[in-house]
Amino acid sequence: MTRLLLPLALLLLLLAGCGEKEEPSAAGARDTESFTVMLDYFPNADHAGIYAAQASGEYERAGLDVEIQAPPDAAVPLKLLQAGRVDLAISYEPELLLARDQGADLIAVGALVQKPLTSLMSLGDRAIERPEQLAGKRVGTSGLAYQSAYLRTILEQAGVDPSTVKETNVGFKLTQAMLSKQVDATLGAFWNYEGVDLERRDRDPEILRMEDLGVPTYNELVFVARRGDLDEVGASRLRRFLQATARGHEALERRPAAGVDALLEADGGLDRGLQEAVVDATLPVFFPEDDERPFGYQDPAEWAAYEDWMRENGLIKRPAGRAPLTNEFLPGEGLDPGTSGLG
Amino acid sequence: MTAALIVLVLLAGWEALVRLGGIDDLLLPAPTQVLDALWTDRDLLAPDLAVTTWEVLLGLAAAIAAGGAVAIAMHVSSEARRALRPLVIGSQAVPVPVIAPLVVLVLGFGLAPKILLVALVCFFPVAINLYDGLRDTDPDARKLLRSLDASRWQTLRMLELPGALPSAFTGIKIAAAVAVIGAVFAEWSGSDSGLGHALLIANGQLATARAFAATFLLFLLAVCLYGAFALLERRVAGWTPRSTPGGP
Amino acid sequence: MKTEVEAPGVEPRDVSGGVTIAGVEKSFGPVRALDGVSLRAEPREVVAVAGPSGCGKSTLLELVCGLQRPDAGAVTAAPAALMPQRDGLLPWLSALDNAALALRVAGVGRAAARAAAREHFAAFGLEGFERARLRELSGGMRQRVAFLRTLLAGRPLLCLDEPFGALDALTRLTMQRWLADALEREPRTVLLVTHDVEEAALLADRIVLLSPRPGRVVETLDVPLRRPRHRSDPAIVALRERALAALGADS
Repeated sequence: MTRLLLPLALLLLLLAGCGEKEEPSAAGARDTESFTVMLDYFPNADHAGIYAAQASGEYERAGLDVEIQAPPDAAVPLKLLQAGRVDLAISYEPELLLARDQGADLIAVGALVQKPLTSLMSLGDRAIERPEQLAGKRVGTSGLAYQSAYLRTILEQAGVDPSTVKETNVGFKLTQAMLSKQVDATLGAFWNYEGVDLERRDRDPEILRMEDLGVPTYNELVFVARRGDLDEVGASRLRRFLQATARGHEALERRPAAGVDALLEADGGLDRGLQEAVVDATLPVFFPEDDERPFGYQDPAEWAAYEDWMRENGLIKRPAGRAPLTNEFLPGEGLDPGTSGLG
Repeated sequence: MTAALIVLVLLAGWEALVRLGGIDDLLLPAPTQVLDALWTDRDLLAPDLAVTTWEVLLGLAAAIAAGGAVAIAMHVSSEARRALRPLVIGSQAVPVPVIAPLVVLVLGFGLAPKILLVALVCFFPVAINLYDGLRDTDPDARKLLRSLDASRWQTLRMLELPGALPSAFTGIKIAAAVAVIGAVFAEWSGSDSGLGHALLIANGQLATARAFAATFLLFLLAVCLYGAFALLERRVAGWTPRSTPGGP
Repeated sequence: MKTEVEAPGVEPRDVSGGVTIAGVEKSFGPVRALDGVSLRAEPREVVAVAGPSGCGKSTLLELVCGLQRPDAGAVTAAPAALMPQRDGLLPWLSALDNAALALRVAGVGRAAARAAAREHFAAFGLEGFERARLRELSGGMRQRVAFLRTLLAGRPLLCLDEPFGALDALTRLTMQRWLADALEREPRTVLLVTHDVEEAALLADRIVLLSPRPGRVVETLDVPLRRPRHRSDPAIVALRERALAALGADS
């Protein structure tokens, strides 16, 4: 691999200053421990708080040399986490529960986004304003089993006969499917991302949120760790990471623009206007509704209800085992055993 | 000339389709919008173009080196032929979209997995064409060299290798055309730069015109690469008698 | 001309520069190419081997050059240089480099080999074409380059396999005259394979006529005529007719 160093060096010279991945600071690296975080998707406004924490030196001050990686697709983060290739992964609550059902010893250690972002979306003249209107329509999803289950639950709650609704797998081309009128509505697009994007482009999206349609509420994005990594050293690193991330989100709330700046440095292909609008839309759900609760708080009762719903819909087979989450690494937690969820 | 005219007509039709035909330009941008994106986003796309070009060039170089070595080994030694032939053929059957994520899993997000994947995609056409070219020599010339007591090495160096150049170039030109595809798949499996990556990001933000611009640059890269090798072929292997006089 | 280069696998060698073929048989699988052929070429003699296509003439040359071994019989030959049927010129080399090929294979350096070849270019009517690509050369010129290469191999015996077969009739006549002159200047032992009995009569000291496959010697004709010879010479014409008759190609 050393023979690649020369062309790689030349390449880096060429690219100097243009859209380079944010490199973790090497200053004072003596005292910092390395910590790799894999995002759930490409860097976007959902991650603004994390990038804000990094840009303002929060991780460094916490003694961490954080490397943020973006996965090529949504299935990769948990796989890499299980393989021990990263220290922390951001994933989705249903994906984590599915992985655990397959035997993966993973655990959710904090919620990045408190509420569902998945929504039922439709455009302009074909807008679905109430779930009853879904009768006889075509709905596009990304083909994920739990999305089909969401749809079934929604139809049930609205009293619509599911056989009149045609579900189509449009992969990740949800927006394109709506624009080309291949489908009447999609289930899977995020209200804070695609919804805001389409709104800004005057496509007039109609957005219905999952938790308003009868699906039990859940945390859309969660931080996931390998249980085996949580020995004394690992636990300390994780705690410091989550604390620094909490501070990053607080900084984001005070000055959203700084977070977006940091985000754009990570990937110059992002559109500033869009990302700022998405951060604005998402800020409320970065923090728990109950402001007594720390950043990243996961409600065990909500999780239990969601897990039950998954079991009822045949998405997970095993009976409930050890708790899938813990709050003990959140800022201010771990000192009060009553608020952890570890069984 | 007629080719250029046909292209212009198609472009005009496309432009009209979007402007007048009611196709959402988030789905299909007009050619003028794509051109605009090419210019506006040039600071973004230029470094990505550089990255992907590097991946392609290094991967192609690796494929030529490996393919050349394997082809010569297979030609010269029958044990090597028996051992390597199934691997050579197998390399072509490997579905890149399946292999790419695995390679990235093992090698990470850097330059190395991209080079490996491009090399994998390019290896077979280079190796197999060179191998066929080495075998396919003028039997009279071969007889001549034998009668002159040429050593195996002399026969390889003076007869088989130069004679195999046209076939080798055929293989390299094919590889050049598919190398870009390999690089894009590699980037889609894990990258933070490159035109394939830019494509994904652009699509994820409904920046469709930019996505088309990136695609166009990829197409341009493939064409330029092919053309460069075709030119080189004319310099280096221009002695080839072709059946149609005046052909390329 | 003496040479240090040995013909490969030909045992034993004729150090005088001649060829002796005795009762040679050769088959390729079920195909019997040669069925008991004998001939003799003295040093500096030109012996033409003539016969219809497919009678094993090329095989005979390959046996003499040591590229094949006979199934039966013996071949004793001086070191030989082969000029294959389709000249064996390499299209990526210039005319000069093609002519120098035998020297290069023998280990002579590029500059020295080119110099040696260049000396003969004028005599061979190739002056000015040293850097020419093969496609710029006429058919006759190509044969002259190939023949120069064969000569420059420096071996006492030349095996020429239908050297003029691919040429048109006019060029062929010119080249036949030219070859006669060249051999006059640089005498060698020559085994010349041809399907043209007139050509054999014009060039050879002896004509060996082979039957169609399996090849056997039908007749051997001596040609004790002075050179230069002409097509119209009555003796040449008579010889030609005798040969054709012997081959069963009467009109």
